[in-house]
Amino acid sequence: MKRISLIPRQSRFRAAAHDERVAAKVGVWLGIAFLVCFVTGMLSYAIQYPPSWFYWPSRPVNLYRVTQGLHVLAGIAAIPLLAAKLWSVFPKLFARPMVRSLPHAIERGSILLLSGSVIFELVTGLFNVAQNYPWRFFFPTAHRVVGWLAVGAILVHIAIKLPIVRRALSKEARAASKATNDQPSQDRRRFLRTTWLATGVAVAATAGSTVPLLRNISPLAWRSTEAPQGVPVNRTAKAANVIGAATAEDWRLVVQGSGRAHQFGLADLAALPQRTAELPIACVEGWSQSASWTGVSIPELLHAVGAAPGSELRVISMEPRGRYARSTLPGSHTDDPLSLLALRVNGERLSLDHGYPCRIIAPNRPGVLQTKWVQRLVVQ
Amino acid sequence: MRWLFAILGLAALGYGGVQFVDFLSAGFAANGPVLGWLIAGPVLHDALLAPLVGLVGLLITRAVPARWRWPVGAATAASAVLVFLAVPLLWRPYGGSVNPGLHDANYPVQLAVALGACWLIAILVGLVRSLLARRAARHPTTG
Repeated sequence: MKRISLIPRQSRFRAAAHDERVAAKVGVWLGIAFLVCFVTGMLSYAIQYPPSWFYWPSRPVNLYRVTQGLHVLAGIAAIPLLAAKLWSVFPKLFARPMVRSLPHAIERGSILLLSGSVIFELVTGLFNVAQNYPWRFFFPTAHRVVGWLAVGAILVHIAIKLPIVRRALSKEARAASKATNDQPSQDRRRFLRTTWLATGVAVAATAGSTVPLLRNISPLAWRSTEAPQGVPVNRTAKAANVIGAATAEDWRLVVQGSGRAHQFGLADLAALPQRTAELPIACVEGWSQSASWTGVSIPELLHAVGAAPGSELRVISMEPRGRYARSTLPGSHTDDPLSLLALRVNGERLSLDHGYPCRIIAPNRPGVLQTKWVQRLVVQ
Repeated sequence: MRWLFAILGLAALGYGGVQFVDFLSAGFAANGPVLGWLIAGPVLHDALLAPLVGLVGLLITRAVPARWRWPVGAATAASAVLVFLAVPLLWRPYGGSVNPGLHDANYPVQLAVALGACWLIAILVGLVRSLLARRAARHPTTG
């Protein structure tokens, strides 16, 4: 009697998608996408929690924006690439015996860790950029820690598979596959073409979040074109619980230099020399938007209180609590005349949601560190 | 070269492993479920997603005429990717406070337009392919 089983044998998968050349080609691009994600992710972490040896310049103004746009878009591109790669190697799941030797067991274990960590990174990242995060564990830490596991597992996987990758992508293999036009070759090319196409669709569908040219085209961009004053708001005055403090008649900005504390009302700040700069808000969540900001240049403000530009500046918001109620503007930024204590955006007074009465906007910085509703500045 | 990858990989795994243990011990009630989610991804993929991909692929190869297979397959793949990316935008039980300018586009309509565009292109490509095939059959090239 013929045994019927729901579990297929490896030999039953005969489609051209399961060719090692497909796995190698898609794998190379997936590896590149993950390398981009890893480097740009760690960079953003270092900028937010700088180790003592770390230096991040204030120029070019758009550098941070580009790195974080790349981070999220490389992650998006990795979703169809990973799906294609996993489908390509899916038959190996049914190889018998399941474990042949100790190295084989290690290899299979590393693949489980690899697929587990990579899927985890892509899914948690996707839900986080959509600000629809269902897990209790803290996203930045989980995403960073599992990112290390993913990159380690990928490197070990490359080490194991390098001979196959070399064979599959060698000049001879490529010449041989170009010379043949039988059905499997055609199917293989179609599978690859479909993979590149789906990857392009995924990137184009979301890239409007950060690429100005695609702003009105990307159907699934996380930011819309409905932003107040032309810039999306990632934390409203209501959510930050600052409406009362920010609109109080007696509001004064306190700037603490080396000596006594200086106080500035809104009119005092407006009476100081104003500077306008075109700077982006670049979110770690991948969206960004350039705007024209006007306010007091930070080096000027430091001069006005008798402090030297290039000193570290602690920025304290009226926001009573919260992870981003405080930030530190490093010396590289307080020395840059484009770093502003902004009072206006795109020609209008800052709205409450954009940080009225004044906010920090500095070049080449994560949006979460562009502190809004500034109450105190302390020269360190 | 292989050894370089292996050493770098093991170093990253070692560092990541230590960080991971720290992360778990910092608050197991909140962070412990990461372990489950690390396993859930491959299990869901291998038990649900991949068989579904196989089934749809099989259906396309069996039911769709040869000239239409590539456009239909490509449009199916593109549609699946678009729907996957749209999930957290359409189904938002965990969406935080409303942020003006973020996640407030009309996603159901925009997704429908994108899917429509995918399939329109697929149909056009399929029509052109079958037209060309028919013409080639009528006027077989000689030589």
